[in-house]
Amino acid sequence: MSFRRMLGLDILAAEYAYGEDPQYGHTSEQKIPDHWISTTCGYCSVGCGMFIGVKDGRAVTVRGNPNHPVNLGKLCPKGLSEHYTLDAPNRAKHPLLRKNGKLVPVSWDEALDTMAEKLRTTQKRYGRDTLGVISTGQLVTEEFYALGKLVQLGFGTKNYDGNTTLCMASAVSGYKRSFGSDGPPGTYEDLQKADVIFLVGANIADNHPILCQHLDANPKKTLIVADPRVTKTAMMADLFLPLKPRSDIALLNGLMHVLIQTGQIDCEYIARHTTGFAELVRFVEKYTPAYVGQITGLSEDQILKTAYLIGNAQAVFIGWTMGVNHSTQGAETVNAINNLALITGNIGRAGASPFSITGQCNAMGTREAGFTSSLPGYRKFENAEDRDQLARLWKIDADRIPASRGLAYPDIVEAAVSKKIRALWIIATNPIVSFPNLDVLKQGLETLEFLVVQDGFHPTPTTELADLVLPAAIWGEKEGTYTNSERRVSKVNRAVAPPGDAKSDFDIFLALAEKLGCRDELFPGWTCPAHAFEEWKHVSQGRACDYSGLTYALLEQHHGIQWPFPDGTTEVGTTRLYADGCFPTADGKAKLFCIEWAPFPEQPNQQFPFVLNTGRTVEHWHTRTKTGQVPILEKMSPNAWLEMNTRDAQSLRLKPHDRVDVISRRGSVRNVELRVTEIVAPGQVFMPFHFAESNVNRVTQSAFDPISREPNYKQCAVSVQLSGSAKEQRGKKVRRKKISMGVSQ
Amino acid sequence: MSLPLIERAENDGIRFVLSQQWPQTSPQPLYEIEPLASVPRIPQRLPEPGEQYRFHFDMTQCIGCKCCVVACNEQNGNPADINWRRVGEIEGGWYPDTHRLYLSMGCNHCLEPSCLIGCPVEAYTKDSATGIVLHSAEACIGCQYCTWNCSYGVPQYNAERGVVGKCDMCYGRLTQGREPACVNACPEGAIRIEIVKTEAWRGEYSGSANAPGLPSADDSISTTRITLPDKLPPEIRKADYWRVRPQAPHWPLVVMTVLTQLSVGALATIWFLQLVGATTRLGVAALGSLLLGGVALASSTAHLGRPIHAYRALKMWRRSWLSREVLLFGCFSMMAGLYAAALWLRLPLSRGLGGTATILGAAGITASGFIYLVPARPSWNTRFTVSDFFLTAALLGPLFAIAIGAAQGRPLVLIGVATAFAHLLNQALRFLWLIASDSFELHASARLLCTKLARPFLLRGALMLAGGIALPLYGSHLARFAALPVALAGEILGRYLFYVSVVPKNMAAPYLASQEPAA
Repeated sequence: MSFRRMLGLDILAAEYAYGEDPQYGHTSEQKIPDHWISTTCGYCSVGCGMFIGVKDGRAVTVRGNPNHPVNLGKLCPKGLSEHYTLDAPNRAKHPLLRKNGKLVPVSWDEALDTMAEKLRTTQKRYGRDTLGVISTGQLVTEEFYALGKLVQLGFGTKNYDGNTTLCMASAVSGYKRSFGSDGPPGTYEDLQKADVIFLVGANIADNHPILCQHLDANPKKTLIVADPRVTKTAMMADLFLPLKPRSDIALLNGLMHVLIQTGQIDCEYIARHTTGFAELVRFVEKYTPAYVGQITGLSEDQILKTAYLIGNAQAVFIGWTMGVNHSTQGAETVNAINNLALITGNIGRAGASPFSITGQCNAMGTREAGFTSSLPGYRKFENAEDRDQLARLWKIDADRIPASRGLAYPDIVEAAVSKKIRALWIIATNPIVSFPNLDVLKQGLETLEFLVVQDGFHPTPTTELADLVLPAAIWGEKEGTYTNSERRVSKVNRAVAPPGDAKSDFDIFLALAEKLGCRDELFPGWTCPAHAFEEWKHVSQGRACDYSGLTYALLEQHHGIQWPFPDGTTEVGTTRLYADGCFPTADGKAKLFCIEWAPFPEQPNQQFPFVLNTGRTVEHWHTRTKTGQVPILEKMSPNAWLEMNTRDAQSLRLKPHDRVDVISRRGSVRNVELRVTEIVAPGQVFMPFHFAESNVNRVTQSAFDPISREPNYKQCAVSVQLSGSAKEQRGKKVRRKKISMGVSQ
Repeated sequence: MSLPLIERAENDGIRFVLSQQWPQTSPQPLYEIEPLASVPRIPQRLPEPGEQYRFHFDMTQCIGCKCCVVACNEQNGNPADINWRRVGEIEGGWYPDTHRLYLSMGCNHCLEPSCLIGCPVEAYTKDSATGIVLHSAEACIGCQYCTWNCSYGVPQYNAERGVVGKCDMCYGRLTQGREPACVNACPEGAIRIEIVKTEAWRGEYSGSANAPGLPSADDSISTTRITLPDKLPPEIRKADYWRVRPQAPHWPLVVMTVLTQLSVGALATIWFLQLVGATTRLGVAALGSLLLGGVALASSTAHLGRPIHAYRALKMWRRSWLSREVLLFGCFSMMAGLYAAALWLRLPLSRGLGGTATILGAAGITASGFIYLVPARPSWNTRFTVSDFFLTAALLGPLFAIAIGAAQGRPLVLIGVATAFAHLLNQALRFLWLIASDSFELHASARLLCTKLARPFLLRGALMLAGGIALPLYGSHLARFAALPVALAGEILGRYLFYVSVVPKNMAAPYLASQEPAA
C-alpha cells in the first residue's frame, strides 16, 4: 500500500472512475472498450449471442446481444463474467514436455515432432488402433471436422470419442433409434408456444437459466417438472412430480397407458408416421397408475393429472437433460420420451417437440461434423453408401473409412487399463474430475505409454498427468461456428490473441497433419477455419444437418441460423425437423419402442444407505478449470456441499455445516460441507460435480448405458459420516464432557 | 404544470432522459422476439414532489441466478468480495413441498436512511429529485459507521480504497434513461424501478417492504417493494441461520474506547481526590491521564480508511453521535491538558478546570455509548452498553490513581471493588438478557459467547475478578500496583468480545460461507 493511500489522500479514484460508453452508457471506466467483437458464448449450448469488449488488446467486459433471438440481451452469471477466463492465471501458455519426470517448456516444433513420432511408433509397434483420442464439445465445428479427418484418416485409428459421451450420448442414441437420425426436432420458440411444458430430469433454472425467459414469455403454459430433487426448476412448476430416482421410464409408460386407455392419442399420426404401436399398446398395459405409483412413489392422482394435461394440450414440449441421459437406461428413456411425443402427435409442430437440451457450447457441432459416434453429416459407419459418398467427396479410397464405430469413451479408458490402448490424446476435457469412478481412470492413464493433453488451461488435474501438454486458444481467441441445442449455427469470433505460445486447436491440427505428412491430402490449401467450413458445407449438403446455404456473413447478419439451410434457401426463419412426418428411417416412419423399467444398478443397502445424486450449480461450469478462476463466481460458490434431508441428518446426529465424508464401495470424498435441507428426499443425498477438491467421481460407479455408453452418474449407493478431523474434535469434546461429569459426580 | 423537481435536477447539473435507450446493432431486429425486455423496467417519468424512485423485487420471479450480482460488480468495477447487490436464500417446508426463495437486494434507498443519519462527514445525501441515497467517496473518511448503522448490510467498506461504497440505483444510468445494471441483467424481470409516494408509503410500508430473511423495515423505512409468493412455506428461515461467525474485532476501537474511558475515569478520580484534599502526585496522574487520552485518540485514527481527513469527523455534530464523540473528547483533552497544567503550576482555577474536564469526559463517554445504540446491531443497542462504558471508566480510574501512587486510602480501593462488582453484575445481566431473547441476533450473540468465544468470555470474567476485586483487596503494594494492568487486560478483552460477539442484522445470505458481512 502506498503512503498516500495509507494517509487517505489517494482513494484509487482513477481505478474506480465512471465513464460513458458510447453504446452502453454510464459504466465503470475500466469496462469501456475500444471496440466490440460479436460472438457466441462458450459455456453451455443455449448459445447466447454476446459482444466482447476489447481495450488495448485485453477483453475487459462482455455484454449480451439484445437482438439475439436466443438470449434477448441476457446472459447468465458465467456468461457475464466470461472475459475473466481469458486472462486467468492458469492459462496454458507454452508446450510442455515431460523430461526426467518434469514438465518443461519446449518449442512447438519439438512438441509436435515428439507427438507425431511417439504416436506413430506406438501405432507401429502395437497396432493402429492402440492410439485413442478423447475430444470434447468445446471446439468450433470447423475444428471438429478437421480433427475427425486427422484422427480417422491421418492417424488411422477409429478409437476416437468425445466427452459428449458423458453428456449427450443417450439423447443421440435415443434420437437415432426412434427417428433414424440425431438432431433435436424443436426450437426454443416452442417453449413460448407450448400449452404444456414437461421437463424430465432437467433443472434449467440452474443449468440453462437463460431459457427461463422463453418460458416466462409463455403466459398460457402449464409447467410440469419430474425430478427426485426439489430443484429451482421444480419450484417453478405448476405440477411437480417428485418421483423416486430413475423411475421415469415407469412414469412415461404409465402416462402412455392412461393416454391410450382414454383415447387421448393421435391415432392418425400414429398410423401414418410410426411403427410398433400395437406392440406398445400391449406392452404398456401392465403400467397401470397403481403399478406406476408403486415404482415412482407418485400418487395415482398425480399420474392421471399429468396424463390429462398432456392429453388435452394442443402442443406439448418435452424437455430433458442429464436426469435422463446420465443413466444405464439413458437411450431407452429417450425412446420412451419419443414414444410419448409420437403417440400424442407432439412433434414437428410449433410448441410440440421431444427436445434434448444439450450441454456444451458445441456438443451439437461434434455430433454433426465430428466423425466419432457417426460419420460427418449424421452418416452411419455401417452404411456402405454413406462411406462411399464420403470417400467420393474426399477423393479417397472408401476402405480407409471404418465400417464400424471405434471404442466409446468409457471403453477407451477400459482399453487403456488392459493395454489395448497404449497412447492417448485428450483434447479440451478434464476427465480426472469428470469421469466416473476415478480410480479406474487413473489406473488407465498411468498404464499409458504416452499421454498428450491439449487444453487452454494448465495445470488441470489431467494436464498434470500428461507427458505432453499442448497449450490451446479458447473461446474469444479463435474463429469458427458453434451449433446450439436448437440447431442454430452461430458465429464465434476472435477478440484477443491467445496467451504466450498458445495456438488455436485448428492450427495445432494443421501443424500436426504437416508433421504426419497428410496435410495436403486431408486439408488441401487450408489455412483458416473458413476453409474447413467451406468443405464441411459441401459434405453436409443433402444431409439432415445441411449447411450448404450458410455463409459466415449470413450467420453474423442473422445472429445465427438454424439448420437445415440448404443451398438456395432465401428465407431465414424458425425450422423444425419432421414437420412433414417423414423420418430418415428405412420405411420413413418413426419407431416406437417397448421400454421396460428396471431398477438402477446399485441399490442402497444397510452399509450404503443413501442414493447419491450429482449435478450442477449455476455459478460453475463442468470441472471449474474456467469458472474456478473467475473471482466473482468462486465467491458466490466457493466449495462443494452435500445435501441431506433433515430427518436423515437427525438420525445420523449431523448438524448444518458439519464436515462429512461420502463413502461408496469404490472410494470416498472427504471433508464436504453438509447442507441439511428439505430439497432432497429422505434416503437421498446430492452433491455438485464441479469441484476437483471434493471430487464426487471418487465414489460414482463404472456403470454405462449398453447403447449410448453414457455413465450412470445419477444414482449410486453411499454412506455418510462425520469427517475424520471433525469427528476427533467432537470426540474430544465428548470425552471432556465425560471427564467433567465424572468430576462433578 | 411546472415540474419543480426537474428544474431542481437541472439546477444540480443533471439532465434526465426519459426515453428508453436500447443499444442497436442493426436497425431492425431480425426475429419476431417477444422480449420481456420490451416492457419498460424503469419509470417513464421523473418523480414529482412527494415521490421518489424505488426498487421493486418480485420474489415469485427470481430464480437465484445471481446475474444481478455479477452485472452490478461489472458496472461499478468492484472486486469480487464487494457486492453492492447480493442474493440471499430463504428456505422452508418439508419435502417435497419445499420452497427455496431468493432475495436480491441492493440499497433500499430508505425514507430515513440510517447510514446518512449516522455519517459524521455528510458523505451521504438523499437526492432531492429521485430520493436515491447517494454516497460520495471523496467526502468519506472510511470510519465505517454507516456499515454498522444499516440493518441490511448495504454500505460496504472497500479496504483497498479506504472508503465505503454502496448501490446508487445506477443513478448515472437512470439519468440517461437506461436501466440500472441489475435491472437490465435480470433474465426474469424480477427487479424493476418504480415511483413511490413517500407519505403514503410511510403508512403502508410494513406490508410490502418486509419479507422473511430481511430485517424489519421499521429501522429506516426501506422503500423497496417486495412481491412475495401468495403462500409462504412453513418454518421458513434464512439459509445462513446456522452460520453465525464472530465479527471484526476493530482493534483500534478496542484500544480507543478503553483508553478514553480510562483517561476520563482517571481524571475524574484525580479531581475527586483534589476535592477531598489529597495532593500527592496529582499533577503526574493528570499528565498520565492526558497521555492515555492522546494515545486513545491517535489509535482511533488507525480505524479510519483516510486518517489524514480525521478532522472532517467534527462536521456533523448536530446529527451524528460519532461527530459528537470526536468533538467532546477533543474538548475533554484540551480541558484535561489545561487542568494538568494548572495542577503542575498550582494555579487557583484548577478545581473548576478539573470539573469541566470531568463533565466533558463523561459527556464524551455518553456519546461513545450512544454510537453503539444502533438498531442494526441488537446486542449493542442496549443501556448495558452505556453502563458498561461508564463502569470501565469507574473501575480503571481509581486503579490508575492507586497504581500511580496518587492515593493510598482504603476508600478508593473500596470504590474500585464496588465498581468491579457492579461491572460483573452488568455483564451477567447482559448475558442473561441475550440468552433469554427471542430475537435471532441477540440469541446468536449469546450462542457465540457460549461456544466459539467461551474461553475469552470466561477469561474476561476471571481478569475482572482478579484485577478489580482480589488484587486491590489483597492489600500489598505490589498487588495494588498490579491491579491496574490486570483489570485493564480484562477490560480490553471485554471490549474485544463486545465487538466480535455482535451479530448484526442483515439480509439472508446463501448457505455457503461466501458472502461475509463487511464490518
